[in-house]
Amino acid sequence: MPKVLRVLLWIAVSLLGALALATIAFHRGEQINALWLVIAAVCAYAVGYRFYSGFISAKVLVLDPMRATPAERLDNGRDFVPTNKWVVFGHHFAAIAGPGPLVGPVLAAQFGYLPGTLWIIAGAVLAGCVQDFVILLLSVRRDGKSLTEMAKSEIGRVGGVVAYLAVLSIIVILLAVTALIVVNALKSSPWGTFTIAMTMPIAVLMGLYLRRIRPGKVLETSMLGFVLVLAAIFGGQWVSQTPSWAAFFTLAAPTLAILIIVYGFAASALPVWLLLAPRDYLSTFVKLGTISLLAVGIILLRPSLHMPPLTRFADGTGPIFAGKIFPFAFITIACGAISGFHSLISSGTTPKLIRGEKETRLVGYGGMIAESMVAVMAMIAASVLQPGVYFAVNSPAGIVGQAPDAAATTISSWGFPVTAAQMATLAHAVGEQTLFNRTGGAPAFAVGMAQIFSSTLGGQAVMAIWYHFAIMFEALFILTILDAGTRVGRFMLQDALGHLWKPLGRTSWYPSILLTSAFVVAAWGYFLWQGIKDPLGGINSLWPLFGICNQLLATVALCVATTIIVKMARAKVKVGRLRYAFVTLIPLFWLVAVTFTASWHKILDPNARVGFLAHANQLAAAGGNPRLIFNDHLDAAVTGALVVMVTMILIESTVECLRVISGSKSAITKETPFVVTKFATEEQA
Amino acid sequence: MIERMCMPEARVGKAKANTILAALLRPFLVISAALREIFDESAYQRFLDRTHLKSSPSAYAVFCQENEQGKSRRPRCC
Repeated sequence: MPKVLRVLLWIAVSLLGALALATIAFHRGEQINALWLVIAAVCAYAVGYRFYSGFISAKVLVLDPMRATPAERLDNGRDFVPTNKWVVFGHHFAAIAGPGPLVGPVLAAQFGYLPGTLWIIAGAVLAGCVQDFVILLLSVRRDGKSLTEMAKSEIGRVGGVVAYLAVLSIIVILLAVTALIVVNALKSSPWGTFTIAMTMPIAVLMGLYLRRIRPGKVLETSMLGFVLVLAAIFGGQWVSQTPSWAAFFTLAAPTLAILIIVYGFAASALPVWLLLAPRDYLSTFVKLGTISLLAVGIILLRPSLHMPPLTRFADGTGPIFAGKIFPFAFITIACGAISGFHSLISSGTTPKLIRGEKETRLVGYGGMIAESMVAVMAMIAASVLQPGVYFAVNSPAGIVGQAPDAAATTISSWGFPVTAAQMATLAHAVGEQTLFNRTGGAPAFAVGMAQIFSSTLGGQAVMAIWYHFAIMFEALFILTILDAGTRVGRFMLQDALGHLWKPLGRTSWYPSILLTSAFVVAAWGYFLWQGIKDPLGGINSLWPLFGICNQLLATVALCVATTIIVKMARAKVKVGRLRYAFVTLIPLFWLVAVTFTASWHKILDPNARVGFLAHANQLAAAGGNPRLIFNDHLDAAVTGALVVMVTMILIESTVECLRVISGSKSAITKETPFVVTKFATEEQA
Repeated sequence: MIERMCMPEARVGKAKANTILAALLRPFLVISAALREIFDESAYQRFLDRTHLKSSPSAYAVFCQENEQGKSRRPRCC
């Protein structure tokens, strides 16, 4: 394409993006079409990818097409395999796409659609994509080393220990909060509980089919499993309408929590390959299919947003979680804009598949763009709901009241009209007994998704099917995260305990397996139990805690990235100028400001709905339950400990950078030596 | 170019059609390859190539056993 045309094209894309952003930012009074959000996001991502990631590739990281990657040098056909860039992109996206970008934006919609959407777009382009891209490239240049290994070798021992503890903490909090989302989605829902229960025998059937009948045909098996799951969704309708069966599958939150805790322990401690591996495949299949379906649905159906751009809860009095837009909108969105967890994937499997350095741009930066787009879709799904309905579903009983009429009156008094009859009709339409107080984000997302699809595909008659399909999709892949996460936590703990006493580190020694599994399950199980017993719904305290953990892990990743970029600049290995460190320094400063402010509020804010200690004091003054008071103190202690750990790595990283800049320490990076790639010469030939 | 000029018109048309067909098929092939990688079908194929085994229940059991340790340690994203 001639240069003039290209320039004109990019000017047009930029102008269109600016117009879409202006429309969503300044439009007041009337509903706007969801497509404006999609256009704003797509244009911003396109410009960010073309220019900002291009700048980082060329000037900051100086990607070298002649340098062999570990996938080429260490190719063993197993972990290290040079793979087509689009295949790695798909693999990477499937690994980073979790429930965070679906749930976070739904919860953050309590501020209106505007703050969350702007942060999802800007945060992804300037922070999240940069983090994923830079960490991926740095790991590729270090034989696919993990984040904790890079922190240890490039910053120091403290960096390594802090990164390890941050990862373990985030796993525990993540598992607790995702389990709470499943409990809140399935409590008193015989249809949903039956569907999820059926995924267990379906997975066993899949396992047998895969092992005995069609070895290795995973896609085919997953499709069969998917058909069976669809049948289970239809069967769930029958179960919910048959009183005896409905009574059997109607479970209260504590019962569901106990079942999930037992499941997590069994999944970690028992050799249940027959169940877990096929469930994992089924969950990935459903996840990718549903995300694609939602994208197509939003583009084809172009729903209108009923949520206002900004709600009155920007002042921090929100019913879903308390706290002002800054910092809580950013903490709540979490993975949709930047996720510390992605740095584990970018320094895990993905770098071992990259064929050439230049491909890290597409996989790292581009993969996060796709994830961020999922977050925009979740924001749309939440915002197509009538605000009254949205708040009725998401507000805990402790805030709006237990009785439907009382809850509807409270929510209407906020300026978001809703009636108990309207909610009863909606609950009936989606096949639930009630939709009041279904906190956690998953039910609201499911109602939004069902509304989008039922407006054309099948109409109101199949709204219940769409709703339960969405619930099944979320619960299925959250349970997969639970079992896989518990095992990862168990392995991490065994690795650490192995330094104290060797047998504890042996992953095949059963006493060690049982002990470490019990420890990990007890840790997240405790937070889960705390969540379901919390009169404010649990999400109010656990989701911000998860967001803080996640963003602190991103802070650790950006510390590692900045330290290495500074070293590269001083060593003149690749980078010409030190000032290019701003690409990771600016997001790092922002994250420090957000996470430290949020932590301060969560620990010390005098408002009892925000601050853990203020809430504990309030409970103590009212002669409240000592367990609830202890939980508040525990949450405050966990938040404080995380902040202290990240402060330590920040200090160590700053000292390391200053020593390198001042010349008192030689700038040596731990890159593997340069080897010329064979692929470049093959391509030239 | 010279080669194409020498080609009869029908053959040029056929070559063009093949090129267009290949371009249209390419995205589907890439998606299919990505799905095979995500769902470990490619990994199984590489295992068969490496071990010179034929696909069978016992070969797949060995592959699963070999893969399990690495897979279990992979973090799942939030």
